[in-house]
Amino acid sequence: MGQRVPHVTGYLTEHFADDAFGTLAGYRARGGYETARRVVTGMSPAEVIETVKASGLQGRGGAGFSTGLKWSFMPAETDRPKYLVCNADESEPGSFKDRILLERGPHQLIEGILIAAFATGAEKTFAYVRGEYAFPADCLERAVAEAREAGLLGERIFGTDFRHDIVVVRGAGAYICGEETGLLESLEGKKGQPRKKPPFPAQFGAFGMPTTVNNVETFCHVPHILARGPDWFRSIGTEKSPGHTLFGVSGHVVRPGLYELPLGTRLDEIIFEHAGGVPDGKKVKGVIPGGMSMPILPAGQLDVPMANEYLRERKTMLGTGGIIVMNEDTCMVRVACVVTYFFRDESCGQCTQCREGTGWMNRIVERIERGGGESEDLAVLLDVAGKMEGATICAFADAAAWPVQGLLRHFREDFEAHVRERKCPFPASFEL
Amino acid sequence: MPRITVDGRDYEVPEGRTLLQALDDLGVLMNGVEIPHYCWHPKLSIDGSCRLCQVEIEGQPKLQIACNTPVQDGMVVYTRTERVRRAREGVMELLLVNHPLDCPICDQAGECKLQDYAFEYGVPRSRTREPRRALKKRVDLGPTIVFDQERCILCRRCVRFCREVPGTGELGVFGRGDRSVVDVFPGEELRNDYSMNVADICPVGALTTRDFRFRIRVWFLKEIPGVCTGCSRGCNIHLGTAYNRVYRYTPRRNDEVNETWICDEGRLSYKAIGAPDRIREPWLRSARGVLEPATESDALGRAADRIRTAAEAHGPGVVAALASPHATNEDLFVLRRLLAALGTEVHGMAVPRGRGDEILLREERAPNVAGGRALGFGEAEPVLDRIRGGGVSVLLVLGHDLLDPRYEGALDALRRCESVILLDTHHSELERAAEIVLPVRHAAEKLGTFTNFAGRVQRIEPAVEPPFLALSDGETLHRLGRTLGLAGFAGVYDVRAISRAIGSEFPAFAGRDVDAVGPLGLPLAGDPA
Repeated sequence: MGQRVPHVTGYLTEHFADDAFGTLAGYRARGGYETARRVVTGMSPAEVIETVKASGLQGRGGAGFSTGLKWSFMPAETDRPKYLVCNADESEPGSFKDRILLERGPHQLIEGILIAAFATGAEKTFAYVRGEYAFPADCLERAVAEAREAGLLGERIFGTDFRHDIVVVRGAGAYICGEETGLLESLEGKKGQPRKKPPFPAQFGAFGMPTTVNNVETFCHVPHILARGPDWFRSIGTEKSPGHTLFGVSGHVVRPGLYELPLGTRLDEIIFEHAGGVPDGKKVKGVIPGGMSMPILPAGQLDVPMANEYLRERKTMLGTGGIIVMNEDTCMVRVACVVTYFFRDESCGQCTQCREGTGWMNRIVERIERGGGESEDLAVLLDVAGKMEGATICAFADAAAWPVQGLLRHFREDFEAHVRERKCPFPASFEL
Repeated sequence: MPRITVDGRDYEVPEGRTLLQALDDLGVLMNGVEIPHYCWHPKLSIDGSCRLCQVEIEGQPKLQIACNTPVQDGMVVYTRTERVRRAREGVMELLLVNHPLDCPICDQAGECKLQDYAFEYGVPRSRTREPRRALKKRVDLGPTIVFDQERCILCRRCVRFCREVPGTGELGVFGRGDRSVVDVFPGEELRNDYSMNVADICPVGALTTRDFRFRIRVWFLKEIPGVCTGCSRGCNIHLGTAYNRVYRYTPRRNDEVNETWICDEGRLSYKAIGAPDRIREPWLRSARGVLEPATESDALGRAADRIRTAAEAHGPGVVAALASPHATNEDLFVLRRLLAALGTEVHGMAVPRGRGDEILLREERAPNVAGGRALGFGEAEPVLDRIRGGGVSVLLVLGHDLLDPRYEGALDALRRCESVILLDTHHSELERAAEIVLPVRHAAEKLGTFTNFAGRVQRIEPAVEPPFLALSDGETLHRLGRTLGLAGFAGVYDVRAISRAIGSEFPAFAGRDVDAVGPLGLPLAGDPA
């Protein structure tokens, strides 16, 4: 088993060291489900949505969309059943936060789901857990069973007319099933391929019903916001990006792992102060700030606060908060090989640009790495990436194009050196 | 109705449609408004994956796919901007990254949308140095379709077709990313009554029919509009012809009749046109009792003689006729006139039947059943009964529809007539009972109209000439009438005049002559359909 408690904890993870916190009794002993009770018995759904809107909570699944706004898209008056989906298909390379939230705090997640369900009028939540997360899925299933046994799920929750239940569904291991409509297709038993929009999930989601899809971590913030109020939440983090998040730090650092920190914490602070810097006295060469699909930052740009409004200025994004640190020996063409291989492998293959572009980019960078690159290859790479961007059904093509663009923006010299020397000039880099 | 502007022109479009649908509804898509597309097909669900139909819409930062963008009042669309041009160029280049470019040996060449769009919207150079995907070539997906996996551009029209039209769903996309391939599900084969439509909707040379592939380069084909004769649906088709031969039928779009489809049975029925068993000359039964070739004038002379003799001896009521629902409205109208001029009212029409389905195929396996009925031809059984009772001396028979199993024993009944005059396209058992056999033209060889089951009058025109002397049923009957010296049968046969004349006698046909119905036909006048 991996890490059990983040190296730095906060309101999300402060009790994660306590094994009992994962049980219903332990969670209740810490005041668990009291917020949900107060919300369900004392607030209107509209008030809950307004509170979450006012908190400024942004989705933690990668896109950073306003959670309260997303909930408000659910039709209020409808005869059709409404659903929530908890996206636990955490697949972004460099990202491993939802796993800990499922393993160590499943009741916190369930409480968040209950509040969201009450706010949106959803009668059921499908928790879609990636297939590789067998243990986290077990933890969640156990907690759901406990909650159901205790009457926290089912009919007449907290003695009211409110009813809700959670179905835990296990994925089969495709990255694209983390995209919300790819997830819905997979949930329905179909091949995981994102749906064209319109229609949007709030109108036509799981099994054709109005559906809201939220990330695990997003749900976990909700009880805290309802317990302590939107002003408290807004007092943490930056003005535009409030609250904590779980940064997952991996790669060439002394202390890889999870760190619960306010949004807006500087990247260099996370790497050097919290994660202990690069081992063996080496220097940082580049850092991917938000999971593999986000453009890389060079060593000179690590003074950036980790919030979208600052990261966008540097042409990258927070993504899922997965920070991948690479030391000075790293060959950025090899990084490009890894990244493009991944996206080539995981593209669902529907849209022309993504299906053909991911493979083309991968073949070009692998040829460059082998020493067969030509100077015009770099222009072709950038051009292909440009053709993929913003032109497809889902954001996967962007996710595949951005890292390539980022690598060429900041490490063009690595590519040119390969072309010039007709071999890889970084013998100490990681092996492909 | 919402009003939209496309490239500066205003259109009033139907509500609740996407941009491509609305432009298609108006008939301007690729016919004034150029928005190239691969995955979108007017009669299949929207896929939105090829990304070729991107257009610029005012107020939208990104280009939008026209196939899935709902029309909204006031929408302003641009299809010819630099951004759109570059987006199309991008899609075309990427589609060709893995395409084998084996056009010289590809049977789709000349009617390939990948060729056409690459020429129109693509880049004239290749920038790829990488090896292309090597996949299955010449795979038999089933008895009718041959598949080249390398040429496939994964538009998935075929997959959607099989799921949505015949409902058989034999095809799927397997694998992910650039390893995606279309294939049949394990242990299955592509086998349904409409399977060959996938070759029509396949924009590239990936799916071809075993029947047509490599028979001829398509640029030698002349595509003549016509109507399938396989059943009473009357699916609109093109007859692909060259060197006075019909090489294929392909469906021709008519939303009122067959949308864009045709059944496999109907598609392959073109083979009858050039079949070796066509009747190529008149035949007369000799004194020895065998059929021997004869001249047309001898055959018509003998037929006229038989009719005249019988009518003089026993009255015109011993002359009877069995019409064919394979004959055109014009043919049948001439038959009506001939019978009227002879003074007999003994007639009927034999209708062959087969299995029908819920899609296109009708049980009545002939194109003009409704036309025959509208022109007053009733069931064949009363005529057969009368023959069995010895009340018919001379019988005029059009076609061999009587050989349908439901008319069991008809051949024996015909033997009771003194003389059977048969007008037919193909040799059949029916000749055993015939004294006089006259060759006639196939529907692909003549001008006229058919009335489909729903009362739609549709035009056929000569796509090929029979390589022997044969006339249409109508003209043959006209000559018979002239030989008999009947009033109204003098002069040259004019099928256009006949077609117009139908309307003056049968008001439902008014304004439904060959020159009036147009390429998509017209419903009978006063007909609710």
